[in-house]
Amino acid sequence: MSLMQINNLKKSFGNLEVLKDISLTVEKGDVIAVLGPSGSGKSTFLRSLIDLETVDGGDIIIEGKPLCQGGKYIPMKERKQVLDKMGMVFQHFNLFPHMNIEKNLLVAPLCAKQADKDSLKEEAKKVLDKVGLLDKLNDMPSTLSGGQKQRVAIARALMRNPDILLFDEPTSALDPELTGEVLNVIKELSDEKMTMLIVTHEIGFAHEAANKILFMDGGYVLAFGTPQEVLDNSGNPRIEAFLNKVL
Amino acid sequence: MPLQQWIPQMAEGCVLTIKLFLITALFSVPLGLVFTFLYTTKNKLINKIVGLYILIMRGTPLLLQIFFVYFGLPYVPVIGEYLTINDRFTAGAVAFILNYAAYFAEIFRGGLLSVDKGQYEAAKVLGMTDMQTRFKIVLPQMFRIALPSVSNEAIVLIKDTALITAIGLTDLLKVTQTIVNRTTNISAFAVAALFYLVMSYVLTVFFKFLEKKFSF
Repeated sequence: MSLMQINNLKKSFGNLEVLKDISLTVEKGDVIAVLGPSGSGKSTFLRSLIDLETVDGGDIIIEGKPLCQGGKYIPMKERKQVLDKMGMVFQHFNLFPHMNIEKNLLVAPLCAKQADKDSLKEEAKKVLDKVGLLDKLNDMPSTLSGGQKQRVAIARALMRNPDILLFDEPTSALDPELTGEVLNVIKELSDEKMTMLIVTHEIGFAHEAANKILFMDGGYVLAFGTPQEVLDNSGNPRIEAFLNKVL
Repeated sequence: MPLQQWIPQMAEGCVLTIKLFLITALFSVPLGLVFTFLYTTKNKLINKIVGLYILIMRGTPLLLQIFFVYFGLPYVPVIGEYLTINDRFTAGAVAFILNYAAYFAEIFRGGLLSVDKGQYEAAKVLGMTDMQTRFKIVLPQMFRIALPSVSNEAIVLIKDTALITAIGLTDLLKVTQTIVNRTTNISAFAVAALFYLVMSYVLTVFFKFLEKKFSF
């Protein structure tokens, strides 16, 4: 069984059809980079997987359980259980500014009664150490750099033990010299076989860290395959035009 | 009558001023918060009712509202006798609380609108419920954003308390007027101004402290 099965997603904002027909199968351990020109529906696609956008048609099936089928969603109460398998990291970090780093990491697991407080505190230290920010445990988010904030956001997502992590342009809001530290953390996660979907403009990173590339354009999947297939010799003029522009 | 005798009398008047201030603050802030929630629920009818309430409270003079609560409520048809408040201070305090709750409701609504949409999304993808998000993520930020406006409102309130003299209560300003009338010496007004200034200053320092403590 695949970890996530997405069939024929459709989504419109008013008259604008953003997702026209998106299908994708995600296997365990996949690191899928979602590429494409702006306005191609990448972010909307990613956000719809975790119920931040509502699709108009199609299926989203996560670990065998449907979130929606034929555009029909399961009841609110049951969604939480399905969505619990996924975590998300945003372009603008969205750390909770009124809490220090430790509380940022602890608040959701405590709310979900995931474990007792002491073991969660230990876990928080471990996860922060993993992203290289153990010394920031008691600092406030406003004192961190963008790259550090994003690493905390990743740590916060990891605290919920997700099976799938979604990244929505995780480095787009960062100064160029800070993107590396965030990409390194993502690479480490991929070495640990974390399943990830990453919307990004970092083509080099996608080539290196992803095992599959999903290339979207105009609400359709233009290509899906290994980085070699999609980026090196796709033979597709639209993809080549895009790569010429960004490289 | 010499200055040494004014001061204790005026201080006594201050007690009522401070009492009214504290009671109004204590009840109007939570009530305002309730109105904010009702105003931002999805139920259109409730929104409209709260909107109308805020319009009336902000759109008519507080002095008139004090008169209405003390003199007018007993004449409300059918239920008037149940609404009658005989104690002047209670009647005045009710008017103050209802009036200030409307202002606080708007201040908190402004704070709520300023909380970034990304905060709700982050809480959601972390699996927090709507209630948990509201109380642990949104409200603390809303309060912090609203703090300077709340401080402003508190300083307006400490001076507005003088309106309660209109229904025959004796506060700092009333005591001062009596002294001026008796002594024909208007310098008592200057002393009263100093009293108000000190109270406003204490509030200013207190809110500055809160802003600093909860800064992020």
